[in-house]
Amino acid sequence: MDNAQPKAGIIQIRGMNKWYGSFHALKDINLTVRLGERIVVCGPSGSGKSTMIRCINRLEAHQSGSISVDGIELHEDMRQIDVVRQEVGMVFQHFNLFPHLTVLENLTAGPMWVKNTPRTEAEANARTYLKRVNILEQADKYPGQLSGGQQQRVAIARSLCMEPKVLLFDEPTSALDPEMVSEVLDVMTGLARGGMTMICVTHEMGFAKAVADRVVFMDAGQIVEEGAPVEFFGNPRSRRTRDFLSQVLQH
Amino acid sequence: MLFADTVRNRGLHEKPRIILALFVLSSLLAWWAGGGAAGYAALFPVREAALGLLGDLGLACLLGAAFTANLVLISRFRFRLQVLIVWAELLTLFLLFFLAFDLSFPFILKKLPYLITQGAVTTVYVSAISIAIASVIAIIGAVAKLSSNGFAFAVASFYTSLFRGLPLLVQIYLLYLGLPQLGIYIDAIPAGIIALSLCYGAYMTEVFRAGILSIPAGQWEASRSMGFKFGLTMRRIILPQSVPVIIPPLGNQFIAMLKDSSLVSVLGIWELMFLARTLGNKEFRHLEMLITVAVIYWVLTILFELVQARIEAYFQKHRKR
Amino acid sequence: MFNLKTASLGAAFILAASWSLAGEALDRVMESKTLTVATDPAWPPQSFLNDNQEMDGFDVDVAREIARRLGVGVEFVTPDWSLITGGRWAGRWDISVGSMTPTPARAEVLQFPAIYYYVPASAAVHNDSDAKTIADLNGRKIGVSAGSTWEEYLKHELVISAIGAPEFEYQITPGELQSFDASAFNVVDQLRIGDGVRIEGMVDSLSALNNAIAEGYPIRVVGDPLFYEPLAVAIDLGDEAFNGKVAGIIAGMKADGTLKGLSEKWYGTDYTSTK
Repeated sequence: MDNAQPKAGIIQIRGMNKWYGSFHALKDINLTVRLGERIVVCGPSGSGKSTMIRCINRLEAHQSGSISVDGIELHEDMRQIDVVRQEVGMVFQHFNLFPHLTVLENLTAGPMWVKNTPRTEAEANARTYLKRVNILEQADKYPGQLSGGQQQRVAIARSLCMEPKVLLFDEPTSALDPEMVSEVLDVMTGLARGGMTMICVTHEMGFAKAVADRVVFMDAGQIVEEGAPVEFFGNPRSRRTRDFLSQVLQH
Repeated sequence: MLFADTVRNRGLHEKPRIILALFVLSSLLAWWAGGGAAGYAALFPVREAALGLLGDLGLACLLGAAFTANLVLISRFRFRLQVLIVWAELLTLFLLFFLAFDLSFPFILKKLPYLITQGAVTTVYVSAISIAIASVIAIIGAVAKLSSNGFAFAVASFYTSLFRGLPLLVQIYLLYLGLPQLGIYIDAIPAGIIALSLCYGAYMTEVFRAGILSIPAGQWEASRSMGFKFGLTMRRIILPQSVPVIIPPLGNQFIAMLKDSSLVSVLGIWELMFLARTLGNKEFRHLEMLITVAVIYWVLTILFELVQARIEAYFQKHRKR
Repeated sequence: MFNLKTASLGAAFILAASWSLAGEALDRVMESKTLTVATDPAWPPQSFLNDNQEMDGFDVDVAREIARRLGVGVEFVTPDWSLITGGRWAGRWDISVGSMTPTPARAEVLQFPAIYYYVPASAAVHNDSDAKTIADLNGRKIGVSAGSTWEEYLKHELVISAIGAPEFEYQITPGELQSFDASAFNVVDQLRIGDGVRIEGMVDSLSALNNAIAEGYPIRVVGDPLFYEPLAVAIDLGDEAFNGKVAGIIAGMKADGTLKGLSEKWYGTDYTSTK
């Protein structure tokens, strides 16, 4: 099925394996993501979800199989990793904002230092995105002065400033206080509706139901099951999926 | 300050036994010192007229009582006032100690301008240039030591091991005497600066290494995920954040260097220590010059501590709430 | 590739160096029109910093006169004494006019064109001392500058290589010898503290001792001078032309009385010959 339209896949993972020493962290992963598609990856902790998406911008290295992003194959000796990373934005669980730069400087850093965008243009862009994540008034503060939810929205805006083709979310709401989760999810939902290609590792099943084109369930380093939300939540095929869903949905 | 408890501990000064012990100890000390130190006689001319054993003992007890009362009194003041008073008292004692040497102040005043315009200026500029070069060496050394490149690591670790392992004076001699044998000719001041830079660069390599390691991996990941290359990440993200970690030990190194720079006087550089040793020679006023440069070094150190506090505050600005 | 680069870099350095060493001392002095003199200003009245913070003293005057007779200007550098006596100057300075005793060890790394004066070495004690004669100092604790000829004398190891050095006898056998680093301590300051507090006697140049007494130090000289030490100007090895030139100039200064005049100016007496 994946082979049916190879050209349309902006991200293609084929038979990918990863080990940490003798621990087999990812086993024979196959995944194709098409432009504009919204994927939610879920699964119990330690199942390899984060590791998998961190392989997509090569924050982690895979040992066998192949990953290609927008036609560029990722491997150890590649020269274009910076190009790939500019096209693939990432939002981290712990935000990873640059604490010594103001919010605005966090947003303009990438475009100005990497893409040589002039300051005025970079700042205008940054303000547009800050407005989009509803945080324009905090532009001149330092990250340490913001709440967790605000910081995560800044982090999303920072990724958007690089105008990536794909956005990776690595458990973006897990480190937040409960009352701040929704403000971040709202922003993510907005992005999804705007047509951004997204791969989200998250436990927020409501978000998955609302916006995902496809839900991928992982366990013990393998993709156990994937499908449209209606199918995935309504009629899970595997027993491990059912166990997992019964645990996360009973809350 | 340490993480303070909300409940006040009962201080030593509130325990009568301790106060008594303090009184007895300080009285005995005063008695003992009165028997030997000439300064005691100078401070208390009364003693010249022989007071006898009882008189001596009485005087010692008086001193002991004054000392103890002083401590108990100070302990009742607020923190800032305590600090102020104790500093003032220690400083006075220190000055009295110097006065006991029977120094010639006109001689000091006569030589002071030259000690500052030639000596202190040379000391400061040699140290400042050296610390700047040492910082550059240290950054390179730290990156090399953290590198996965075996060649870079080997060179850097050999360098730090060698230059931390040799006395600075030996390094100065080796650079000045040894290099000409290889045909590399270096003047006294450059040789001094190179020796100081290399030696302190080796120490500071560890400081910078620790500074770089103190930045969480998330900062590297965020930088990488935006396509920043290594140099850019280092320059704009990692190093600026390690500055607050690096500045206090760096300040220590600079203060140590201010004083270690006196070692380059063997090369005939007219810095503070060189002048201290030569200016007083004609009139046999060595002690005057040594004490004067001691005070100049101390003042330089205090001035630099103030500058350091400013720098630290500047790089902490993002921590404000 | 890398090795090749470093090697050629090193070769370039060595080439540059041999080129800089090829010009011999005399050529260098005449070309630059400057005689660079090394002397340690820690030794009044030979060499010290005067009230205007300028180099001054007997050695400094002699050096100026040598430069004048060479027809060049003069410049002073002040490296540590050990750097001067160690030789291998690498062209950093041309000559030492620093009251250096020409010992065989020094003659291995330096050349001594001429002796320009003799300084008597004497023993001194604190005013409170009961020592009357030089023999009274036997068995006592004697202080001296480390590495000096006075130290070698007290160790009975003194050999003076210069031709014309007067005969001498070892008249003192110290009970204990206390050597002080000359660059950090002045031995008279150790004696001034009191008789036997740190040392019971010392040996130094008579001129330095007289200078200290004139400054009010509570010390006195014991007996006649122990030995006369010849003091020479020194140059680096390997330039016979320069050696001859300097020797000629010193001979001239002796012959026309210039040297005697300078000695009387600074020491109040003629030290340019032994008595």
